[in-house]
Amino acid sequence: MPDRKMFWRMLRRIFTSNRGRLFVILLALGAGAALTAALLNLQIDAKRRITTEFRAFGPNVLIVPKGTSSSSSETLPESIIHAVPVNLSSGRVSVSTALYLVASVSVAQSGKSLSAVVAGTNPLAFITVSVRPGSAPPAGSNEPAPSLEHVCVVGARVAQQIGVQQDADLVLANGNHRESCHVASFSETGGPEDDHVAIGLRAAQRLADLPDRISAIEIIVPGAPGAIQGYIADLQRLLPDAEVRPIRQFTEGEAKIYNRISGILSYTVALVLVLTALCVMAAMTNVAMERRNDVGLMKAIGGATRRVLRLFLAEAALLGFIGGVLGAALGLLLSIWLGKQVFGVAARPRLIVYPVAVALTMLVSIAGAYPLRRLASARPASVFRGEP
Amino acid sequence: MFLRLVSDSFARRPRHKLLTGAALALGMAVTTAALSVALDVGDRLAQEFRSLGANLLVTPQADSLPLEIGGVDYRPVNAGGYLPESDLGKLKTIFWRNNIVGFAPFLDVPVLAETDSMQALLRADLKPDLKLIGTWANRSVSVPGGRAFVTGIEKTNPWWHVDGTWFRDDLAECIVGTNVASRRKIKVGDDLLVFEIKSINPPVTLNPAPLVALFGDAIDSSHLRRHDSLISHLRDNLSKRREFDKESLQHKLRVTGILSTGGAEDDAIVAPLAVAQQIAGKPQEYRRLYVSALTKPEDDFGRRDPGTMKPDELERWSCSPYVSSIAYSIKQVLPGADVRVIRRVAEGEGQILTRVRTLLWLVTFAALLAAALAVGASSAASVIQRRTEIGLMKALGAGSGTVGSLLAAEQLLLAFIGGGLGYALGIFLARYVGQKIFGVAPAFSFLVLAVIIVLAAIVTLLGSAIPLRRASRYEPAPILRGE
Repeated sequence: MPDRKMFWRMLRRIFTSNRGRLFVILLALGAGAALTAALLNLQIDAKRRITTEFRAFGPNVLIVPKGTSSSSSETLPESIIHAVPVNLSSGRVSVSTALYLVASVSVAQSGKSLSAVVAGTNPLAFITVSVRPGSAPPAGSNEPAPSLEHVCVVGARVAQQIGVQQDADLVLANGNHRESCHVASFSETGGPEDDHVAIGLRAAQRLADLPDRISAIEIIVPGAPGAIQGYIADLQRLLPDAEVRPIRQFTEGEAKIYNRISGILSYTVALVLVLTALCVMAAMTNVAMERRNDVGLMKAIGGATRRVLRLFLAEAALLGFIGGVLGAALGLLLSIWLGKQVFGVAARPRLIVYPVAVALTMLVSIAGAYPLRRLASARPASVFRGEP
Repeated sequence: MFLRLVSDSFARRPRHKLLTGAALALGMAVTTAALSVALDVGDRLAQEFRSLGANLLVTPQADSLPLEIGGVDYRPVNAGGYLPESDLGKLKTIFWRNNIVGFAPFLDVPVLAETDSMQALLRADLKPDLKLIGTWANRSVSVPGGRAFVTGIEKTNPWWHVDGTWFRDDLAECIVGTNVASRRKIKVGDDLLVFEIKSINPPVTLNPAPLVALFGDAIDSSHLRRHDSLISHLRDNLSKRREFDKESLQHKLRVTGILSTGGAEDDAIVAPLAVAQQIAGKPQEYRRLYVSALTKPEDDFGRRDPGTMKPDELERWSCSPYVSSIAYSIKQVLPGADVRVIRRVAEGEGQILTRVRTLLWLVTFAALLAAALAVGASSAASVIQRRTEIGLMKALGAGSGTVGSLLAAEQLLLAFIGGGLGYALGIFLARYVGQKIFGVAPAFSFLVLAVIIVLAAIVTLLGSAIPLRRASRYEPAPILRGE
């Protein structure tokens, strides 16, 4: 096999002979591979990340007793919450339980009172969009700590009408049941929460005399529109006694927006990738055309066109491979950093991106060297004479 | 001489120039497309976010607290305040009028609805069992000193689906929630009789017993079939008994569609606002108004309380379409109203919009970088390939400066032609992408053209700068010898 030996020796020579040129080629190929890997990874991650961003809209699925809303006195057993699957591939599902009742609310200090909807929720202050400075829900409100039992979050409109200040005490009464709570903060959401007084679920259950009963479960399901639909269908099957309802305003809106965003991302990323390929191909063609003299020389000393061509294409593939392996690794690191910049969370590297980026780089590199084929018809003598 | 050399270079190597120009045009085209889309995407997405519906809620300042659980209001009907409908046209006169995409007023009345009047009267307990939501489906509002503006529920609540058609705002028509329709077997085209109940506290009770006494045993199925004469008879009797108001005992609404919303409206009837006003006895008034407005994501400045701002800050604040500054200007034109931002919609929107924008600018920047690399590489290649020519020029006595400016002029000419062509091509690309994703082509922007031309010039000059510097150091003799 002297033939093959010769082939490899020549390849080795190509790498060792001109370090500067090798560096330039690897730089071009590596940059292309890095950009490809970074964008592909970022694009996959961004789509997923956007769906988690939809969390900001709050709950998108509601579980209510069957046939509800005409008679809202119906309740669900609290144990139903254990049937709700919380770990999805697209992220964690957030669950909040609530019990609503109308109770008389009075301020302990001034004695003013009115009737308002009392929402017993667990965790307290599920939607944390209130922005009024100083009105953030108490830290650690996600855990139903026992100390939170006597804390309430008062809706902005309730607060305005009853004239309650922060740190005041409220007395809630429903029939013979009374609960008192300490006003921890105010919520201003522009939604029904503004008209509610939110207290701990246990306190509300005592107030309503409905131990271990809830009137609704609110769920934030992350994920692409199709995944959410599937989740709702599964949940309905798991909970035949309750009604699982997508909050269509958000599920539909989110689906529309998600499709737009993922569309725009795919298109721009595709555009940029095509351009990167063109760029690397241009650089490779440029480098390959410098090898005219080498091709001419090899032909002059008796190399068959096909063998010469194969040698150069093998070189291009090898360079593409090395550049791709180095560049794609760099690109994945880059995308992790970029993900952190955009979403505040490092993008999770997708391993599938790596071989794809390397393969694309090799492909582009070979395509860039392909114009050398034109030299197959070139006569060695005219190449040496420097004729175009 | 200089110009001749430049034009000669183009004429002598047309294919080579064509290739370099093509690379340049392609790079610039992609940059143009990415830039146009990125510039446009904020507005487009903001528009898209309107599919989440209204982001502002207007309620009367004097309103009482709604005691609403699961869509059922436990508060007496006549409690609370109302707002005049006639003011609504003013919404389109505020500074940010073009950002107001739509609005719809709401008035809810508890009613008793039946497809058959006999059944309604025979019920032992005349408690309202349904909520009738009065609103606008698609109504033209006259704007003071301007044209009419068509708006309604389809703009503010786009997730409401109607199987059939929406009611017409000026007719006695309605759509019924899907749960109501299936429970009562109501079909499109049916007539629904809606009875008003003046007060639910104490509820009007009507026993079938006195009716039986009135008509003897005559109330049977045969009467149900020819109930029209019976109902008029009943109406006479009942109005005498002053149980009901004679004129508005019942409203006959034709069902034009079945509504499904996935929310509490599935258990309600939705009818024109005028019908609800008539039933509630509140002419020209409404209770809630949903406004859908295009907004700019709120930053720290946007969240500040306008009351604490200095005059110049207030001006800057009210000249940015923050959701809160739009709320502020709506409050100015609607006296007695309380305008609240629906935080759930507005905040999420702002956050996602900011993220997506950053992401797209990043991708655009990557596109720019890649385009610069591509163009730079091809100009570098074109200079390197002309080493012998440069050597010859130098041998004939041209200085480095002359050679450099000659090549730079060629490159610039190429940049303008390639950049211009690339821009034209890029606009097509951007239109295609915009059309494909949003159904609307991005707006034409001269800014992009300027950026592209300048960029093309900078990139080609930078790309050829390094080989040019090397070329200026060339010794003519070895080059001419072909070394």
